[in-house]
Formats: sequence, structure tokens, C-alpha cells
Amino acid sequence: MSETAMELMDVKKRIGKKEIIKGLSFTINKGEIFGLIGPNGAGKTTTIRMMVGLMQLSNGDVKILGKSIKTNYKEAIREVGAIVENPEMYPFMTGAQNLAHYARMIPGISKKRVQEVVRIVGLEKAMKEKVGKYSLGMRQRLGIAQALLHKPSILILDEPTNGLDPAGIREIRMYIRRLATEQNVAVIISSHLLSEIELMCDRIGIIKNGELVALQQVNEKADQNNLNQIQMEVTPVERAIELLKAHHGIHAVQVEESLSFQSEKENIPSLVQTFVQNDVSVFQVEVTKSTLEDKFFDLIGENTIG
Amino acid sequence: MGNFTKLIYNELTKMYIRKSTWVMYILLGVIILGIGIIANMYGELEESYEQDTWREVLQKENGQLTTEMEQEEFLQGINTSLIETNNYYLENDIQPVGYGAWQFVMENEILLSLVSLLTIIVAAGIVANEFRWGTIKLILIRPITRTKILASKYIAVLFFSLFTLLFVLLFSWIIGAIFFGVESMNPSIVLEKNTGLEYVSVFGEIISGYGYQLVTLVMMATFAFMISTVFRNSALAIGTAIFLMMVGNQIVFFFIERSWAKYILFANTDLNQYTNGNTPLIEGMTMGFSVTVLIVYYAVFLLLSWVFFTKRDVAGY
Ligand SMILES: Nc1ncnc2c1ncn2[C@@H]1O[C@H](COP(=O)(O)OP(=O)(O)OP(=O)(O)O)[C@@H](O)[C@H]1O
Ligand SMILES: [Mg+2]
Repeated sequence: MSETAMELMDVKKRIGKKEIIKGLSFTINKGEIFGLIGPNGAGKTTTIRMMVGLMQLSNGDVKILGKSIKTNYKEAIREVGAIVENPEMYPFMTGAQNLAHYARMIPGISKKRVQEVVRIVGLEKAMKEKVGKYSLGMRQRLGIAQALLHKPSILILDEPTNGLDPAGIREIRMYIRRLATEQNVAVIISSHLLSEIELMCDRIGIIKNGELVALQQVNEKADQNNLNQIQMEVTPVERAIELLKAHHGIHAVQVEESLSFQSEKENIPSLVQTFVQNDVSVFQVEVTKSTLEDKFFDLIGENTIG
Repeated sequence: MGNFTKLIYNELTKMYIRKSTWVMYILLGVIILGIGIIANMYGELEESYEQDTWREVLQKENGQLTTEMEQEEFLQGINTSLIETNNYYLENDIQPVGYGAWQFVMENEILLSLVSLLTIIVAAGIVANEFRWGTIKLILIRPITRTKILASKYIAVLFFSLFTLLFVLLFSWIIGAIFFGVESMNPSIVLEKNTGLEYVSVFGEIISGYGYQLVTLVMMATFAFMISTVFRNSALAIGTAIFLMMVGNQIVFFFIERSWAKYILFANTDLNQYTNGNTPLIEGMTMGFSVTVLIVYYAVFLLLSWVFFTKRDVAGY
């Protein structure tokens, strides 16, 4: 089950003097749903643009089922279905005409397949309507339909739930899950909403300022490592941070007058002991179960853009 | 259908599915109809020339023209040449054909500049619009090289101009036939050429008249296509192409004294300057020279489009 579907190798993107993507390396497996998450301007869309060959890579390579997007573009892209940023379609054509248009661009897509895809995204009733009259959610569905036409091995969706109602999100989530488990499709989803990606993905890559700052398994595996978020009110804080690093190898950050870090609960007595022995006063210890959300905010901060 | 044919089909579908394209055709139709109505109301020489009476009819016409000329000074020039034409028929004993659909088509040669205009509009939009709609992203992530996509778009523009040209020819002919009748299947008439009066086939005149203008059409459409691809802005492409098409000749005359004037595109678009005993615009220019210059411009336009389309990152605005 863990055959590689897509591999990013030290992917960088420079525009002018600015390095927007600073060396991304990770792999996505077949049958896996991978979430790419980060705040606005983190570089998610840019990364996706490079994955599908819309932007040239300044460095590194992207391999799709072993085929390089740089040197073997046609073979590589054949395996990919994607929505990049907004699901833009021709507003003056009907849904059916739009799909027919894209179907003509790839050999071997039957009429039956087009109907099948329409059924999957639940757009049967809107097929004869002009896309200009579609709601955002309907366009999003048509975008997904377009990406599925040629039965891709890798599905890349940039903010796919944007504009969908809760029922729509649930439907798409279930469908994506089914694609991954039944047809072994690798799915890459970008979002800046952690809550929704958490429910959908097997693994999450957190990206900030063009760098991958964390890769994390979601669900059961995340709980197994038993990490807790720990806050301690101590003085002096600076000294405490040094001690944690020197004696326990823990990187703590200062949050107001407290320390914040991750550790196992069993470690707490020995940590307190270290502090006491080194003349650091401990006033309060607070332990919370570490959730992905905490981690997310820890890593990228709540309101930092860029 | 082959892969590439399907791409061209896609482009043509997107063109002809839009109302704006049909508005263009309706406008063209209305203009042709208008010309037909005006010609019908004010056309005077609509005699029919019968086998045994055409000589008397021409004599009578000449008489009328002469009296007209004596009354109205300003008719002198045009009536003199009409009389000369009539005399040519008489002297050479050629029975003239009446006015009809073919000659109407021939005289509407000017409509080809409208075809050029519409082709420029379409060429200017075909790449820029995909960027404006954002659909370029979905087009480019297919297992098709960018070169092929660009080529299919360019060829679709050529098809559009061909269809529009055929529409103009056909619709003019129909309007001509309705208002004036069809003179014959392959009529010939006496026309004033540089070398004097000549008895020529109307059909041949239509082909050369429209044909020479096609050079400008193709060059300016390709220019608009290039601007549209490089700047992704259809308004800019339409504006510059139409402006250049209109002032092209003035540009040439403005710089006519310079040694490089003959390399200006517009000094070379009128290939008619080398035929029918015409004198070239600038001394020393030849048909071969102009064709070479045209090919170089054409290749540069296409090359620039290709470089910008295939090499550039497709990012948001
Ligand atoms: N064409 C461009 N030229 C210069 N900088 C660009 C260009 N496109 C994107 N950027 C910069 O690259 C960074 C990443 O942008 P990107 O669109 O990839 O972010 P994102 O993670 O998709 O954000 P969002 O959540 O808002 O969609 C931003 O800081 C942006 O300003
Ligand atoms: Mg984005």
C-alpha cells in the first residue's frame, strides 16, 4: 500500500529575488490522502502549480509515478487530475459543454464516463445550464468532475471545499475517501482550514513561508505518541528555557509569563525537579492533550501572514 | 477525429458558441444588405443588353452621359471614363453583360477589411481570454504540449477568417442576385487598368482583389495574436492591430525618405504594387523582396507568441 505516487525533491521556486518555495521534499503514497496546510501566502498554490507543470521549478524535481514533470511532462500529467485555485470554467457554455470540452483533450474518455463523473459530483440536474449561472459550490463540483474525467492516479485539489455547503463537503469527503481506498488514488488537498482537513486526511504537511515545518499523521497515530501540551508558570523564564534545552532536549517557547512545550506527562516530575534544583520557582503546571490544532498554531502562529 | 483536430474543434466551438461572434456576423450581413439596398436605389446603369439591341443601348447611354456632363461640371471625369468603356465594347464588338451578383461581389472587395477587423478581434481574444477566464490552467494540465495548444488556437483563427470570408462572398452574392440578378456563370467586363481599358473576367478580379488583401489580414491577425499572447490583454491587441492597420500607410509615407523605409511591414503588405503595371512604392523593391520581408515579420510574430506561451509560468494576476 505504500507505493510512491508523487515525490517532491528539493523543490524551490524563485520569482525575481524572492524565494517563495524554499526546498520542499516529501512523498505521497498511493491510496493516501495528503493535506497541505498553511496560512494565506504560505505557498500552497505555488507548490501545486509546480506539481502540475503550470510553473517551472527553479530547483529540484517532481516525480509522478516515477515520471519527471520536467522531462516527461506528457506522461506525468496524464496521471494527474487537478483544480488549481478557483474552479474556473467557461461561463458561456453549459456544464455538459464544459466537460465535453475537457474530455476532448484527453484520448479515450467515453460519453459514459462523463455521465458517471457527473453522477459522482451530483450535478445531473445542472448539466444543461450555463456555468455562468452556477453557484460557487456548483462550479466547485464541476471542477472536481473535470479533474476526475480521465481516472487520474493522483488527484490534486486546491481548496476544494471552498464554497461547498456542509452536505457538499461531507459528500466530497466521502467520495475522496472512497477513491483513495477503493481505487488507490493518491489525493492531495490544500487548505488553510485545519478542522476540515483533519477529518479528511491521513497525513498532513504544514507549510509556512515556503518551508515544510511539519509532517504529521492524523487520527489514531497522532494519539499514540502521547505528547501533551504543557504550560508552566515559572521565573525566571529565560533560565527555565535554557535548562529544558540543556537537561531534557526540549524546545520551549515563552508565552507571556509562561513556558509552553510538548512532552510526555510522565516527564513532569523530573522537569520540576530540574527547575527546583536550579533555583527556578514553579508556580503552576498545566497539562493539555496536544491536538493537531495546537500544533498548527504553535508552528505557524495564529495570525501571521507571509 | 485526431487529437489535434479535436483541439481545433474545441477552439472553434468556443468561438461560435458565443453570442458576440454571431453579433459580428449579423452586423456583416446588415452592412452587405445595406450596400445592396443603396446600390439598388441609386444605381443607374441597369440596362439589359440584348443580343440585337445592345449597340443602340450603349449609344443612347453615351448620349445621356454627354448631356449630363454638359449640365453638371463635376460629372465630367466619371462620365468620360464610362463613355470610353462603352466605346471599348462597341469598337471591339463585345456584347456587355448587365450588372449582377458577381460584379456586386467584386465591388464589395472593401468588405474584406471588415473581415480583417473581425479576425483581429478573434485573434486578440483567443489566448488572452483563457487567461482572463482562468481556464488556461485547466487547458494546460492536459497531456498535450503547449506548442500544440497554441498552434490549434492559431489555426482556429485562420479557420475563422476563412469562414467569415466565405460568408461575406456568399452573402454578397446572394444579396447581389436578389437585387440585380445573376449576369452569367463566368462574366467578363471591361475595366480600367493602369495600362488602359481591358476586357477581364470578373471571377479573376474577385480572386485577385480579395487575395491581395488577404496578406494584410493574415499579417495583422498574426500580430494581434502575438500581442495577445505576450501581454495577455485582448483590448491592447485589438487596439494596436487596428491602429496600425489604419495608419500603416501613413507610417510608410512619413518615413519614405529613410533608407530603411522599405523594411517597414506596411511598405510590403500590398503585393499588388508589383502587378498590373503598377510601380513599386520605393524604387528598387521587388516582389521577392517584399515576400521575404513578410515572411520574416510573420516568423517573428509566431516565434514571439510561441516563446511567451510555452516558456512562461502560469500564475494568478
Ligand atoms: N507571480 C508571483 N510573483 C511574485 N510573488 C508571488 C507570485 N505568486 C505568488 N507569489 C507569492 O508567493 C507566496 C505564496 O503564494 P501562494 O498563492 O502559493 O499562497 P497560498 O499558500 O496558496 O495562499 P492562500 O491560502 O491564500 O491560497 C505569497 O507570498 C505570494 O505573495
Ligand atoms: Mg492558494
